[in-house]
Amino acid sequence: MSSRAESLRITVSMAVACALGAAVLGGLYVVTDRHRQAAELRTERSAIEELLGLDSSAVVLEIRQYFEPQQCTVVYRLLDGNDAAQQLVFSLDGRLQSRARPAASGAEGLMPLGRLFLARHDGQLLGIVVEGSAKGYKNRIRFLVALTREFEIAGVRVVEHEEDPGLGAEVARPTFAGQFVARPASDLPALQVTRDPMPEDWRAALAELQRVPAASWRPRHQALLDRERRRPIYAVTGATISSRALTNGVRATVDHFRRRWALLEPYLGVRT
Amino acid sequence: MRPASGGGTGRGALSGMVALGAALVLAAGFTGAACAAQPGPVIRSVRVVRPDQVRLVLSSPLAGTDPGNFRFTETAAPDVPIEIRTVRVEGTEVVLGMAQSLDPAGDYRLEVREPPLERRVRPSRWALLLTVVLSAALINNFVFTRYLGLCIFFGVSKKRDTAVGMGATFTFVMVATGTLSWMLHQFVLKPLQLQFLQVLVFIGVVAFLVQLLDTVLKKTHRALHERFGIYLVLITTNCIILAVPLLNAAADAGPLESFALALGSGAGFAFALFLMSCARERLELARVPSSFEGLPIAFALAGLFALAFMGFSGLDFLR
Amino acid sequence: MSAPVLEPRPPSARELILNGIFAENPVFRLALSLCPAVAVTTTVMNGLVLGVAVLLVQVLSSLTVALARGRIHPRIRIPVYTLIIAVWVSAIDMLLSGFVPALYAQVGLYVKLIVAFAIIISRLEVFASRQPLVPSFYDALGMGLGFLLALVSIGAMRELLGNGSLVGVPLVASKPLLFFALPAGGFFSITLLMALFNIIERRVESRRRLAAGAAR
Repeated sequence: MSSRAESLRITVSMAVACALGAAVLGGLYVVTDRHRQAAELRTERSAIEELLGLDSSAVVLEIRQYFEPQQCTVVYRLLDGNDAAQQLVFSLDGRLQSRARPAASGAEGLMPLGRLFLARHDGQLLGIVVEGSAKGYKNRIRFLVALTREFEIAGVRVVEHEEDPGLGAEVARPTFAGQFVARPASDLPALQVTRDPMPEDWRAALAELQRVPAASWRPRHQALLDRERRRPIYAVTGATISSRALTNGVRATVDHFRRRWALLEPYLGVRT
Repeated sequence: MRPASGGGTGRGALSGMVALGAALVLAAGFTGAACAAQPGPVIRSVRVVRPDQVRLVLSSPLAGTDPGNFRFTETAAPDVPIEIRTVRVEGTEVVLGMAQSLDPAGDYRLEVREPPLERRVRPSRWALLLTVVLSAALINNFVFTRYLGLCIFFGVSKKRDTAVGMGATFTFVMVATGTLSWMLHQFVLKPLQLQFLQVLVFIGVVAFLVQLLDTVLKKTHRALHERFGIYLVLITTNCIILAVPLLNAAADAGPLESFALALGSGAGFAFALFLMSCARERLELARVPSSFEGLPIAFALAGLFALAFMGFSGLDFLR
Repeated sequence: MSAPVLEPRPPSARELILNGIFAENPVFRLALSLCPAVAVTTTVMNGLVLGVAVLLVQVLSSLTVALARGRIHPRIRIPVYTLIIAVWVSAIDMLLSGFVPALYAQVGLYVKLIVAFAIIISRLEVFASRQPLVPSFYDALGMGLGFLLALVSIGAMRELLGNGSLVGVPLVASKPLLFFALPAGGFFSITLLMALFNIIERRVESRRRLAAGAAR
């Protein structure tokens, strides 16, 4: 066989093999991707329900926040199920520019500013969950902050992180993340992190959060909560950077949320 | 003659890499949208000088010095301005006192209402590049903290010569692979929504580049091929070469960051290999319990290096 | 062993599987594909997930190569093997991310990196490309199981010492030796387990030699 015919054969067979592989993967992707998205949605919903202590009667409304860099506007998309039901567009100085059904559901050319989840029951606001992220010790830490309708923190849950197990990863546990519970949102700007050791009674109380939801845990430790609410966040021993990162992230997330909420609230039709 | 030509290609390759880097820097410079046109006095520089202070230098003095004349935002949250408490004017310099503490390594945007000016505030590109390179090489060293590339690491760290050869070859191929994979991901896979082919495409890039380099080197520079050829083949089974494009794709990194991560991880691997080979040459002379001979003691050594590398953690070059 | 024969008897399924688990254990003996052995083995569960992924990829790729044996052009065999592995890895990756997202989140990057594992391609080159389907299957199964067991044992040691728990169940109230959960601890765990493996092997070897001597 001549070398040209051989190299042609090699090229063709390689191309066929590649195409075959890509086709197999394409098919599999279509099948599994739907599953993956559904699973993601389920875990997110159950996290929200757990954080706010919701029952099945509550309705969760998702709001996606975007920045439009060409016109310098802020876009809020209110989602009903999977469809964007309404779109609010604000100028940067806080004036409502338009309120309509969005023409396109895609987010091309938009910069995402995170998501909000509103839990309602008969038009009554039950609580809000805000998505946030912070630069951790190694990589980004993604978390959810839940607020009660009185704007107190109902809970903080880390959903994704790459911190070191046993050290930075401890910030995801209730013994650290539980310290935010019951602090009013207005106290957060002054919130500090300390390297002092955590009082033992407080640690024991927080460890219970692993098993019981925050809503039923709070009344039992009211005295302790009243005492600790005025104190700073205790850093995880050996992981001050991760502890600071999460605290600063929660603070910025809640701060941004409060200012956006002031714009958004009148148009949402919820009673607080 | 041979060595001279070898040196020539080395320099050629180096200048090629520098040119590639420069092109990426330029490409990065052109990304970034503008919200307002800007005639009149020009902002020379803006820096976060203290956690609560921003200093801006202008070409001519500014008329409006009311805090309301300025708008300072985080790039990630352009709709919620950070409150400005005080404005102090010193000739053509203006110092803004901020109500909350800023991150000197953060990414912000300053806008002036009258005359309309704006400027992105962030550490210089070179500082960012250096941070990514050093953090990939030291703080998050792929071998000692992410445990990647261990097979090759233990295989070729017995002698210092082979370690240096492998380190150099690997760094070069890593940078080339990282850049090519980034381009393919950004311009082909992402627009066509073919991200699920990532693994296939990236390993294809590695195999292609290794084969290409091998053939080209064999035909043109025999001496270089004799020295580095064997390492080229081994690179395909080094996890780092695949991990870097995957990490870049997952983080949706820009051209500069991708280049820096590839360079840093390559350099980090070479550095780890060099250290390990030095230590293992000494280990040859040591008396080791018989059941620990060979690999087990090498692992213990790597563990000690990993402990030492933990000392780099928390290092921040921008603060 | 027995006297050399011209046509070696094909090894039995049991021999092939045991070979992968003990004599040529990919992690402890061949020292191949060590990256995940240190990286994801902070808990038993992580080790198990990655071990199962490697087992599946190894078996499926070996079967594919054994089936296509003789039809792959010798000059492009390595790229073709890589392609086959990459396809199976992507497939397993998608399945894991679709059906067990919580477990996948911990080991995601390392599942994709299975493509670059030397152990898989070396088994394809050394064994599956030369042997029929059935022995290839058992060889792949042995290698995969050897890898899985190694990962689980390292994971068990590190979880127990570093976290005081096993498969997520807390056994000790405190964390006895946090060091073993850290990166450096992974290297030391492998050191200790490898040395243990060496000692056991030497015991077995000397006993066998004694037995052989007695028989003679």
